[in-house]
Amino acid sequence: MAFKMKDIKELDSKIKNLSKKTRKVESESSSSSSLGIAMKLSSEMVAAVFVASLIGYYLDKWLETEPFFLIILFFLGAITGILNVVRTSKMINKE
Amino acid sequence: MAANPMSQFEVYSIGPKIQIGSFDLSFTNSSLFMVLTVSVISLFFIAATQKKSLVPNKMQLIAEMAFEFVSKMISETAGKDARPYFPFILSLFLFVLVANLLGMLPYSFTVTSHIIVTFALAFFIFVGVTLVGFARHGISYLKLFVPSGVPIFLLPLIIVIEVISYLSRPVSLSVRLFANMMAGHTMLKVFGGFVVSLGILGGWLPLGFAVALTGLELLVAFIQAYVFAILTCIYLNDALNLHH
Repeated sequence: MAFKMKDIKELDSKIKNLSKKTRKVESESSSSSSLGIAMKLSSEMVAAVFVASLIGYYLDKWLETEPFFLIILFFLGAITGILNVVRTSKMINKE
Repeated sequence: MAANPMSQFEVYSIGPKIQIGSFDLSFTNSSLFMVLTVSVISLFFIAATQKKSLVPNKMQLIAEMAFEFVSKMISETAGKDARPYFPFILSLFLFVLVANLLGMLPYSFTVTSHIIVTFALAFFIFVGVTLVGFARHGISYLKLFVPSGVPIFLLPLIIVIEVISYLSRPVSLSVRLFANMMAGHTMLKVFGGFVVSLGILGGWLPLGFAVALTGLELLVAFIQAYVFAILTCIYLNDALNLHH
């Protein structure tokens, strides 16, 4: 079979057009990944407060300073949680 | 079946009781479903890659899609350096996904609805990522806790906050998956209970809700597996490319 140069060029442009279209679809589908990252937010806050309070509780038990470290680390945990949420939302904004 | 919506999460041993030291190592329904998850994945991939054709059939297509999906996820979030960890993240993603999906079958058990299972997964990821970070950067991996451009008098506070943030990763990773799966399955069971107690006259509304919730749960099963895998990639990215 003999292909004409024109046919090949036509096919080439068709392929390029189609690949442009598929790339568009791919970039749209990345919004589902931001949905996934958004689900990160709620547990992020709880986890930070929980872990920090736990550390505080055991530090107190160890050093017998109840409830000094528990109170301080509880608030530090809350700060960390909010900071994590802010960071995650910044990451989503960047995308 | 019991009407108690929490009875679906009960772990009981099947088969003989195995006790080693003070550990009860009996084979439970939870272990059964973990084995089932792994065998479903393995059998599917063995069957799908049996006849490797250039134009894939349906099964091969699904297998390739899963492969490409994870591969794209890694290269987008963790970059080129994370390529060696592709098998780990693919197995992690597939394990969580198939465990979630198997839990959607009636009378089955959802492995990921137990905090200890998800926490064990998350904890090993946490330890692994930390080891990778130290192996790659040595002691300077600790720079992760010291962000640049912070005034010196704020540094002690920031370091404590960063350490808490780092330590809370496995907790947030595991709690999210566990809470989503448990809440969803409890809700399904509660609405199922409403259908029975309201009978043929009033049971249609909760039945509709239960159908809608089943669809939502399928979505959640996928999204949670995805989130679990992508967060592993993000943590891996932090360990591989130190850019704080």
